[in-house]
Amino acid sequence: MHSADRQGPEISQQLLLSIAEQMKLPLLQISRQVELSRLGLEPDLNQIQALAANTLYLIDAYSLGLQLQRQFKFELTPDSVSVASVLYDACQQLDGLARLYNVQLELNISGKYGPVLAHKRGLQSAIVGIASALIETLPAQGNKDKAVLQLATHRCRYGIVAGVYATVPGLTSDALRKGRRLYGLSRQPIVDVSHTSGAGIFVADAIFKAMSLRLNVSRHHKLYGLGVVLRPSSQLVLV
Amino acid sequence: MIAKVVLLVEPDKVLGSVYASALRVKGYYVCHVMTAQEAVIAADERCPDIVVCEIQLVRHSGIEFLYEFRSYTDWQTIPVIILSSVPAMEFDNSRNGLQDHLGVRKYLYKPSTSLVLLLRTIEDSLSVNNVAAQD
Repeated sequence: MHSADRQGPEISQQLLLSIAEQMKLPLLQISRQVELSRLGLEPDLNQIQALAANTLYLIDAYSLGLQLQRQFKFELTPDSVSVASVLYDACQQLDGLARLYNVQLELNISGKYGPVLAHKRGLQSAIVGIASALIETLPAQGNKDKAVLQLATHRCRYGIVAGVYATVPGLTSDALRKGRRLYGLSRQPIVDVSHTSGAGIFVADAIFKAMSLRLNVSRHHKLYGLGVVLRPSSQLVLV
Repeated sequence: MIAKVVLLVEPDKVLGSVYASALRVKGYYVCHVMTAQEAVIAADERCPDIVVCEIQLVRHSGIEFLYEFRSYTDWQTIPVIILSSVPAMEFDNSRNGLQDHLGVRKYLYKPSTSLVLLLRTIEDSLSVNNVAAQD
């Protein structure tokens, strides 16, 4: 067996371990919420719904990552996609979780950027995955102020960047590199950023990889974050 | 009667608030913090009667916090319960270290620890401590 052939199953197994670790948290949250009723307290049904919905997104993103990895071996044709609309939709999806963690969700899509070449569902799932992982960990960063998470886009030398940004100083290239080496092996691969397995980040990483893109540590104004550089779609620029 | 103070070191906001609600129902005063650094400050300010701590925290782990916590003479007899997502069997080799050096009374694995079990464990640890203090 060639090493390239082995890479796929190994990566998906590592991802699965990471997701299994991650899934403990929402299931615990739901289970303990329900248990509160036995102590005479009303469980918060909205919370339970938001937690369950976010867990389902994560599972969906994982299976999408696997599908994309398989398809990529044949042919994955990217579409012309508007980054602003992807970020807007992602923001809508994340609203419930952000409220739960008292994180202020901001959308920064000002600036006129043309469409990019990407797999729309893949891009959106990846952005939601990264943002979910960061939302869960933002309150645990020890900042006294209300945590802010920004979904933003900006232009760079190589194309248009779509990313998720927050005040997380620990989010460095080195931390991401170590995390990539440790995920699936360690319970807490990005120890300076997250107390969880950060599965959303690695699912996003796998999705971008399948789309021949690379997730990078990126800065947006004064915020730290993770972003991906997308190629502008010249096809529609002519129209 | 003065409420006993529980220092809850739990990095997840949602889970922490659920545990805190359950503890408040039983009459405890809960100080919920999410990082090791906040935990040291809170211990100094609130003088907890018991500490419930997760191991997996951002940056400094719960173990690092406990070493720091136990380094102060005033805090050496305060009971500590670990409530963690890390299974206890992963600490089998260092169980003596947790019990002897860090004074961990009980190691609870989150997925198999109901709120009722947590409350009972806290109650038991506090009553053992009271008896020891009276002796």
